[in-house]
Order: sequence, then structure tokens, then C-alpha cells
Amino acid sequence: MADKEATVYVVDLGESMADCHNGRDESDLDFAMRYVWDKISTTVAAGRKTWTVGVVGLNTEETDNAQDNEGLEGYEHISVLQEIGPMTMSSLRHLRSSIQPSHTHGGDAISAIVVALDMIETFTKKLKYNRKIILVTNGMSPIDDELSEDVANRLNECNVELVVIGVDFDDPDYGFKEEDKSRSKANNEKILRKLVEQCNNGIFGTMQQAVEELAIPRIKPVRPFKAYDGPLTLGDPEKYQSALSIHVERYFKTKRAMAPPASTVVINPERGGASQSQTLDEDTEMGGTEFSGVKHMRSYRVDDPDAPGGKRDVEFEDLAKGYQYGRTVVPFSDSDLSVTKLETTKSFTILGFIPMSSYSKFINMGETGIIVAQKYNEEAELGLSALIHALHEVESYAVARYVQKDGTQPQILLLKPNPGIEDNFECLYDVPLPFAEDVRSYQFPPLDKVLTVTGNVVKEHRLLPSDDLKQAVSDFVDAMDLSGFDSDEEGKAVEYAPIDELYNPVIHRINQAIRDRAVNPDAPIRPPADILLRFSKPPEKLIHKAKSEIDALIDAAEIKKVPAKAQGRRGRKEPVKPLSGLDIDALLGETKRTTISSDNAVPEFKQILATASDDSTIESAVKQMGEIVRKLIHDSFANLNYARAAENLRVMREELIALELPGLYNKYLTGLKKSILSGELDGDRREMWFKHIIAGHLGLISQDESEVSEVTTEEAKAFAT
Amino acid sequence: MAWGDDDDKRPDMDEGEEELDEADYKTQKDAVLFAIDVSPSMLQQPAATESKKADKDSAIAAALKCAYQFMQQRIIAQPKDMMGILLFGTEKSRFRDETGGRSGSGYPHCYLFTHLDVPTAEDVKSLRALVEEGEDPDEVLVPAKEPASMANVLFCANQVFTTNAANFGSRRLFIITDNDSPHGKDKAANSSAAVRAKDLYDLGVVIELFPISHGGQTFDMSKFYDDIVYRDLAAEADSPEGVKTSKSGDGISLLNSLISNINSKQAPKRAYFSNLHFELAPNLTISVKGYLPLHRQQPARTCYVWLGGEQAQLAQSETIKVDSTTRTVDKSEVKKAYKFGGEYIHFKPEEAASLKNFGGKVLRLIGFKPRSLLPMWASVKKSTFIFPSEEQYVGSTRVFSALWQKLLEADKVGIAWFVARENANPVMVAIIPSRAMDDESSETPYLPAGLWLYPLPFADDVRTVDLAMPPRTPDELTDKMRTIVQNLHLPKAMYNPLKYPNPSLQWHYKVLQAMALDEDTPEKLDDATIPKYRQIDKRVGGYLAEWKELLAEKASAVMKSRALKREAEDDQGEGVSKRTKAAPKRADKGQLSNAQLKAALEQDTLKKMTVAELKDVLASKGISAVGKKAELLERLEQWIEETM
Repeated sequence: MADKEATVYVVDLGESMADCHNGRDESDLDFAMRYVWDKISTTVAAGRKTWTVGVVGLNTEETDNAQDNEGLEGYEHISVLQEIGPMTMSSLRHLRSSIQPSHTHGGDAISAIVVALDMIETFTKKLKYNRKIILVTNGMSPIDDELSEDVANRLNECNVELVVIGVDFDDPDYGFKEEDKSRSKANNEKILRKLVEQCNNGIFGTMQQAVEELAIPRIKPVRPFKAYDGPLTLGDPEKYQSALSIHVERYFKTKRAMAPPASTVVINPERGGASQSQTLDEDTEMGGTEFSGVKHMRSYRVDDPDAPGGKRDVEFEDLAKGYQYGRTVVPFSDSDLSVTKLETTKSFTILGFIPMSSYSKFINMGETGIIVAQKYNEEAELGLSALIHALHEVESYAVARYVQKDGTQPQILLLKPNPGIEDNFECLYDVPLPFAEDVRSYQFPPLDKVLTVTGNVVKEHRLLPSDDLKQAVSDFVDAMDLSGFDSDEEGKAVEYAPIDELYNPVIHRINQAIRDRAVNPDAPIRPPADILLRFSKPPEKLIHKAKSEIDALIDAAEIKKVPAKAQGRRGRKEPVKPLSGLDIDALLGETKRTTISSDNAVPEFKQILATASDDSTIESAVKQMGEIVRKLIHDSFANLNYARAAENLRVMREELIALELPGLYNKYLTGLKKSILSGELDGDRREMWFKHIIAGHLGLISQDESEVSEVTTEEAKAFAT
Repeated sequence: MAWGDDDDKRPDMDEGEEELDEADYKTQKDAVLFAIDVSPSMLQQPAATESKKADKDSAIAAALKCAYQFMQQRIIAQPKDMMGILLFGTEKSRFRDETGGRSGSGYPHCYLFTHLDVPTAEDVKSLRALVEEGEDPDEVLVPAKEPASMANVLFCANQVFTTNAANFGSRRLFIITDNDSPHGKDKAANSSAAVRAKDLYDLGVVIELFPISHGGQTFDMSKFYDDIVYRDLAAEADSPEGVKTSKSGDGISLLNSLISNINSKQAPKRAYFSNLHFELAPNLTISVKGYLPLHRQQPARTCYVWLGGEQAQLAQSETIKVDSTTRTVDKSEVKKAYKFGGEYIHFKPEEAASLKNFGGKVLRLIGFKPRSLLPMWASVKKSTFIFPSEEQYVGSTRVFSALWQKLLEADKVGIAWFVARENANPVMVAIIPSRAMDDESSETPYLPAGLWLYPLPFADDVRTVDLAMPPRTPDELTDKMRTIVQNLHLPKAMYNPLKYPNPSLQWHYKVLQAMALDEDTPEKLDDATIPKYRQIDKRVGGYLAEWKELLAEKASAVMKSRALKREAEDDQGEGVSKRTKAAPKRADKGQLSNAQLKAALEQDTLKKMTVAELKDVLASKGISAVGKKAELLERLEQWIEETM
């Protein structure tokens, strides 16, 4: 929950805003609106009803504001373009049409601020709001500064922040100065700067800087969430007098931020023009949209050998919930369903301690929490503090069992002490650790030695680095060090790519694109901002600095790219041998296989191709295999044989690609498609075609996969429908 | 953690974690067929001794126990994978009696005890009966007078795989035998077995041999099995993993030895991605494969069961997409859009794709840092393991090995930009080395040696926790606590996950198994994650008692000094310090302590708080702060009553 906001933008629409200045090829207004649209669309994106926006136009043809209506003087050419209210897509669209440069310049900027202030006062009354007025102008039209002190006082009284961003305003801090500035503009800048300085809460800046800073991603602040508030124990306080209990609170320290989710939509079927509104969810009014959301309808089927297609529909009302135990389904009544859930009670208890040296980060399973003592509890403060410092001094971590609240699954957390020496913040951090079931034992050969078949250890081998290579890698690693590579404002060496500079590229790219599209629906999407790609490659300067080490490493490594087609061409295949090296083909030699049996189709097909010396043998093998596939489909009871037929096809396809004979496969498959779809293979076999052949990527072999294919990618795609 | 929750639909865009390379279109499932030798020597009971550690199992019993354990683990960890048991050398024969296709005579002395399929509760039950109760009503464990032909056994396995697991990505035949020379010098029999083994190889079936040796004899591979066993298809070139012989002795029973050998092959090695380019520098690229050896295992989701038939049946659900007029929508009509300001902002499919494209899949190094520069809180997600592959760049392995050695020596980590698959979200990772399993200083002797891609949090993922927690200076309390910490190390002074099964998961499957097998539901679970309270009391109880006494003393002193300070401040009329206990100022209501809230409830002064103050308090307790004042008050009151 964030605080309520009321922001009024005062936008200068004077005729001079239509001109381009200082070498820019966009008008002052377009330039300034880059900033304003970005701000407003960010507010729209947040989708909060309590973040309200109003817009006042300065130097408009018309005059439309409360002060002028009351007959006050000095409020000409100021129009309220949008009263304060929640910002929606339709208000954004409306606003877009009214932001146009006028042919006048008679409005007074300070009067416009008064109009905005009055709007805010009326809207927010005395309630808790963050109040803000943002003025964007090029400062070309005259300003009367007589009342500026009064205005500043009123802004301060009402607790309103004033932000003035000027096009080509001078800003020595940022380092911008406009040459040949007109006297009147310089004077206006002075008046506005003075006004801002009189405000308790004011910002005065130049548009160049504001636009430049738009590229820096803004991070959505999230209020800390308390996940746990209760005792951290050592021992069991219910059973043992000695047991220790410290009252702690646990918050999230890291939590993965997600990109906005995309919805699945279709063109609105009741589309009656852009003005029609329709309700999508119960409570969200989706106004003026040409799209509507897609709903999902579920139907349920069970296997039934007597039904056509082997399946029949069942009513949802006739279904119970259950779990699968292997292939057996175990139905549960609703009351029984909870039995499989382990009963747990909220608790946080230490299992024991481990030395820091026996832990490595990569076993972390997820996000970090932060643990502090309960507030206003001296025993907890002192107790937790002692634990933190003791762990730190003996270089240990604690391992604890954590149940967030009654009924949740227990987790094992590693507790790491942060004595607050560097950051002045004493706490424990925690990370989740894996359970036994979470570890899969995969075997890999050793990296620093090679074992031969006979069990000997070899230390020099083409898979092992030579001493030269080791040295080259070592020098390379040292040369590419990032720890002091960057420098701060004072030129001091600091770490390059620290975490607070790593922005999630996807989140910020998508948000940016959505905002752009909302403001300007017809523009193409922009490429990602440079700042989002900053760490996608090593810094140029570092590569330059480490050039000699990199070159030395390239020499020592002797990496060779394997040519794309080196694998498995005809004749090049080495015969595969068992551990003993026995030549099985020689065993087969006498009784060379020429026919393929359905039972042992895959091995026999492969073996014929491996020893085939002419194309006619291959053609014969393909023909036989093709017949086997057709027979499997033809004889299949429902879909029983489909997987097997698909596997045979897959092997055929793979082998023919390797032999560079894609035409044989494509010809066969074309015939098979016809047979399947015409019902020639004993009834409706479309499931075979769509679920196994198309979904299994067993379609025509296109030129993407085999250069010698005569089938283009498009043809292959068309064939698959 | 959304178990039992069918409406679990997190919009997590890159949770397609297990999704495999598109090129890898074979069904990524695993089928394992155990082929267990039934012979007099396999059935031989070990000699009875006094020693507790001595074997109590015959070789066949050990093998069957392994298979039973394997089956149970498989149901939990790999519920979609198949398994079967083929006994060979049996007097009886059985192949596919149920489907009536072939009679048993096709494969004499081969008895297919469990069909190759996802196991049913019945399969578990009958295997358990054979293993635990030694019930063998069908007398399947009676060896034949003549040995089985190995060619026949292998072809039988071939047929089982061809028909039941036709397009499985991983198919493995586990042979458990104590006979290193089944056909002696019979050349014809040996040759035909070798030919059948080649068939299996061409079919894509990997043969894993688990030899058993008795009484100090060695199992001589060269006599027969060297002609049968091939190198693992999935393994890299030149990396024989070796065949480990199981035997009893050295305090390890035959059963444990066999279990440990089979467990190491439990999970089929599935790559998460392959042939990823690892760009070390411009013009220096090697290729690596990625694996996920760490993955959070969750209980299976509930399913819908149809009870209308004789047997409970799984109902398969199908979804169709419909629009607001409930017209079925074709896939080509569907578009992706984002909700924005009450409307949909829409992108063309190619635009939507380009938004996620940051330059294709790659692991690109940007430099190195000392390991100590990674903040200890910088953790968001499990890591990915990478290992070199020579398939695309010859020489990858030696460069990878040199890098791995250097990072270990220098205690450094790489920093890299990582996109796992086309269109996967880019992440920044630290590249951290793991030591070899047999290295005594390894932090993780249960994980392989290689490099890990450890995801770093983005700035967007870091929460600011704004609490005043200034450090205190260590004192006697710290000293005493130090003794406690030092006396309570976990076994072997490390956290070994293999010792801590997940209690929720274990309980779930225990209950489920009991229900499936129609047995009584278990009373309680042996939960290894519950601390050994008695031991804690025994080992550090004395220190803890002393420490607590000291703590109470110190705490009351601090409390007093704070009270004094506050009085002084109040007297001077200065601003109240933030941590004050008495009558906080209005602006400070969000910071109210529980005790103050309780007092306010009792004195009925809660309703004097403004809506803004109430919202602050609720938010700080992690309670929903949405609604009218009356609702907020009610929620806060309820919370106070429940909590205190």
C-alpha cells in the first residue's frame, strides 16, 4: 500500500513551444512531453485509483479556470485540461488530443501554479496526500513575479511540492548553459528559480537532465512484509528448562520481481466501435476496448474402450478429487484430502551449527530473509545480538527448521550472521537449503584427471589443460578483475556491476514499451535502452586492458570449432563397439541383414544403413520400414501402437538426414499423410498425425535441417497443417 | 507452495524450467527395466554370524530390496517414469500373459515379474510381498536347471522396451548378476548375446551392469560383459564411469553396497540445455551443457477422479478457449496484451517476441570478482550446473578445467550475462566452482565437481528493510554463546541435505501409499528435521541455563537505563525518541508495540486512531490494510486477540 497522491501537471502550450531549439529536431513541446508522458503513463501503469492526476494548460487559446470564472484578473489563457482524478487509458487518450501548441503566449506561469494549487486544495481537502505540482515550460512568455512570495507561502502551507523543469534552462550542477539566451527568458528563469527556492519542498531543473534520467529504470518500492513474528528457539522450551527462546521478526530481503503478466485476448466479438464499453471482470470496467479476455472452459474425459475414439466425456459433478500414486489413482473425499498434508505448528528452531567453511552459496534454493529482534523487547535484542556476534566470531552459521505458520511445509534455513560492522545493521540473513529429495545425483567424470577404461589415472591428456594453458587462464582471470574496475564520483576505484546497478532488463523493457504504446499507439517499439544492456558484455575498456592476456589465452587454448556437418555423414561413421572393442558387424558379417522384422525394426534398420554400400539397399530398407510403420498404425487398437510408429519414423527421419537423403523421407511421409487423412489405415487415425507426427516434429525435412532438401521452410510449415 | 490447490496459476514467465531444447523432441521420460539373475548362488543365504553388521540377505533378496526402494523413490520423485522387473534363469517363464499376445514360451527362463510401466499400487504390493514377507506363491524364485540364454534375455528386454516405452528419451536396462561367465566358452552363445546387445544399443537402450561378487572373488568383466556393455550414450567422449562391483565386507552389507551403486543411477541424467556457447572473451568461445542437480521437489498436484466405473479412473481434462460469447476461439485469433489503465495494450506477435529478445542464448563472461564481494544476502533462485562439451568446440574441456582450477585456487567467481534458452529471460550470474566429491575439503561431497551458475538478484528484487538495528558491542553474553555454538555442531560439521528428507513430502506419500494399498494410515512420521532436543539439553543445557540468567539480568539493566533516559528526555520536553515505550506521538502509531496495542484494546482507545494510522499498523503486521475504518479496526482487534 502506497500513500495517496495528487499531482497536477502544468504544461506550457504557447506558440513558441512548437519551435525547435538548440539543434533538436523535435519541438520544445514534444521534447518536454517526453518527460510528462513518461511520468503520466507510469502513473497509469501503476493502476492505482488513489494516484490522481490533473493537467493545466498554460498559454492556451481559450481560458477555462475557476479563478477567471470568478472574475479574477491575470488568469487569461490558462485552461484546466483535466480535473484531478484517477488516470486511465481513456483519460490519457483524451489528453493526447488536447496537448497541442497554440498560437498565443499571454498566460502567466505563476497564475497557472495558483490554478493547480487551488485544484489540489479542493480535491485533497485536509486528507493525507502526497501533493505535487510539476511545471514544464520553455520560459518564453512573460511572468509577473509580484505574488511569488505569497504563492510560495501557500504551497508550503498546503504541503505541496513544486517541480519546475524548463526547456534549455541553465543548470550549473548538471552542466548546461544556453548560449545567446534572450533577456526575457533569462529573467523568467530567475523568477521561477526564486519561487522554487522559497518553497520548503521544491526542485528546479533543466529538461535535458530530466529526459536523460528517464532511461534509468525506476524500481517499484515494496513495503517490507513481515513473514514471521514469534520465537526462535534452541532446544524445546516445552520439555526442557534449559531451552532458549528469542522473540524475532522475519522479513523478506530479496523477492523476485516479475514482469507484468500478459493476458490472452481476442478481438472483441461484440465490437461496436471504440466507444463501447464492456465489463471484463466483475469489478474492472474495461472501457473503450477492441479486445476482450479469453476464458477457459474445461471438459473431462475418461478412457472407455467401448466409446468411439476410446474416450468419453464425463460430467464434472461426477468427479472426486484425488492423487496419483504411480499409475493408481486414489480418490479422496474432501474431508480426507487434508490427511496427506503434514500437520505442523508455527515454529523456528535451530538444529545445530556449521562452520562457514563447510558451506558454498550454490546450494541456496531461493530468496533471502532477514531476521531482527522483536521491537521494544530488550531480552530479544540482547539475545539475538549475542547470537549474531558469537556466530560471527567463531565463523559459523546456524541451521534451523522454519514453519512460517500453522500447517505450512517446514523449510530448512541457513542463518548467517551480519554483525553490522559495514552497514550498521545488525541482523541474521537466512536462505533456504535443499532437502534430500531435492538433490539429484548426476555423475560426471573428474575435471583434473582422466580415467582410462582399465582404471588408470592419466594426468596429461587432450582434455586436460597443459601448464601453459593453466598459466594463461590464471593471467586472464587476474587481468579481467572487476573488483576495482569502476570509479565513483571522486575517482576512487569501486566495484564494477554491483547489485544495485543490475536492472531486470525484461521488466523495464516491457514496461517502457507498454507506456510508449499507450501514449503513441502507432510508433514502432524502441530497441532496449543502453542501460539495460550495459552488463550483457564485458566493458570495452577492460577488454582493451586485458588484450595481451586474452590473446595469450586464445593461443594456448587452441579451440577448434567443429564444422557444422562433421557429424554422421555417410561412410564417416565409426563403427560403435562395446567396451571390449569387439567388432559386432564382423560377427554379423556372414549373415548380412537385408530384411527388417517388425519386432526389432529400429536396430535392424540402423544396422542395414550402417553397412549399406548402395542406394538401392537404403531404398529397400526405407520401404520396409515404411511398411512396418503403416502396419503398426493400421493394426493399432485405438492409439496403442502410435508411440512405437512415431519412434520408427523418428529413427528413419534422423538416419536419412544424416545420409543426406531427405527426399526419401519426404516422399514417404507425403504418402503416409494421404493414407492417414483419407482413413485408409483402418479408420480415424488423425491423432497419429497431429499428436505424434506434427507435435513430435516429424514433419517434412526442410532446407533448414538438410541443405539438399527440396522442401522450403514454408512448404514444410504448410504441410504440417 | 500450492499443493492441493488446483487454481495455482502463478504468472511466472520463466518457470518453464524443465522445458527442454526444442530440438530434443523425444519424450523426456525414463524407463528402467531391472533384469535380476535367479540362480542357486544368488539365492544362497549368507552364513549366520554373531556380528550385527554381517549380511542377512541373499544376493537376490538384496537385489529385490533395491528394486523395491527404487520403485518407491520413483513414484515420489519421477511419477511419470516407468520401471519393470525381469527375472531370468527362472524355472518358470512369463512374458505378456495379460495381453495374451505371446505365450511365455518365446523367452524360456525369463519371468517378467513387473511389467514395464508406471508402477501401480498392486505392483508395489506384490513386490513388497516378495521382498519383505518372502511370499512367493507362484514360486518364481526357483532357478532353472539350465541357465537362461543371455541372447534371449536381452532380446526379451528389447521387446519390452520396444512395445512399452517406444519413444522414451531414456531407456535403461539394469542387469544384476553374480555370474561373470554365463555361457563359459560357448562361442556361439556368447556371440549371439553380443549381437543382441548391439541391437539394444542401436535401439537406444543403455545397459547398466551391477555385478555382485561373493567371498573375495572378483567379477571378471572380460569374460563376457565387456562385449555387452557400451559407454553411456549421454556421457561425454572418453569418460568411462566404470562398473562398480557390489560386495559385502568392510562393515558394509551387500544390500547397502548395491543400494549405493544403484542410487547413483537413480535419476537419468537430463540436460537442462545443451551446446550453450560460453563466451569467455571476444573470439574465445567454448561449449557447455547445463543440468539442474538441485530442484525443489513438491508433492504432486491433486487430480480429478471419475468414480462411475468399476475402478476409480483418472479424468483427463481438456481446455478450450472461449470468448465472452462462449464461442470457441481458434489459436490464431489469440493475441497477447497487457492491462494498462483499464484497457488492453496490444503488441503484434513479432513485437511481443522482440520485447523478450536480448540477443539469443549465451553465457557471456564480463569479468571476475573475489568471492567475498558477493553480499551474503544475494540469493534469489537455485543454481544451474554446467559441464564442458566437446561437441561444438574441440578443446572446451581443457579450458573449462583450467578455469575451474583457477577459480578454486584464487577463491574468485566469474560474473556473466546468461540466457539459458532462446527467449528465456536474461539473468546475471556468478560462476562458482564446486570441488570434487572425493576432495576432503569439499563443501558439497554430494554434488559433482564443475561450475555453478548462481543467479544474482537484480536491483528490482532487493527489498529495503528499514529498521533501526545498530550493532552492539560483544560482551559476556557473546562469549558464553560462543561456547554453545562450538558445542553444537551438526554431524561432520556440515549440512548434508541427504540426511534430511522433506517431512511434508514423506508424509504425503506415506499416507498416499497406505491409502493406495488399502492399509491403515500411519500414525506419525519419523521427521529427521526435528532437532535432537534431548541431545541439545545434554550437551549445552548447562551453558544455556547460565546464559539465560545473564540475559535476564542484562536486559533488565538496559530496560532501567532506558526508562531513566526517557524520563530525562520527557522532563526536558524534548522530542520523544523513536524507541520509546510510553504514549507514542500520533505520527509514530505505525511503530506501536504489541503490548501497547493490547493496552489500547483493553482501554478501548483503538478507535481513536485515524484510518491512515490504522493502515500503517496493519501493514506493519503484514495484515491486509484495505477497507473502511470499521473493517480495519475489526481486523486489528482480531489480530491482537489472536496473537496475545
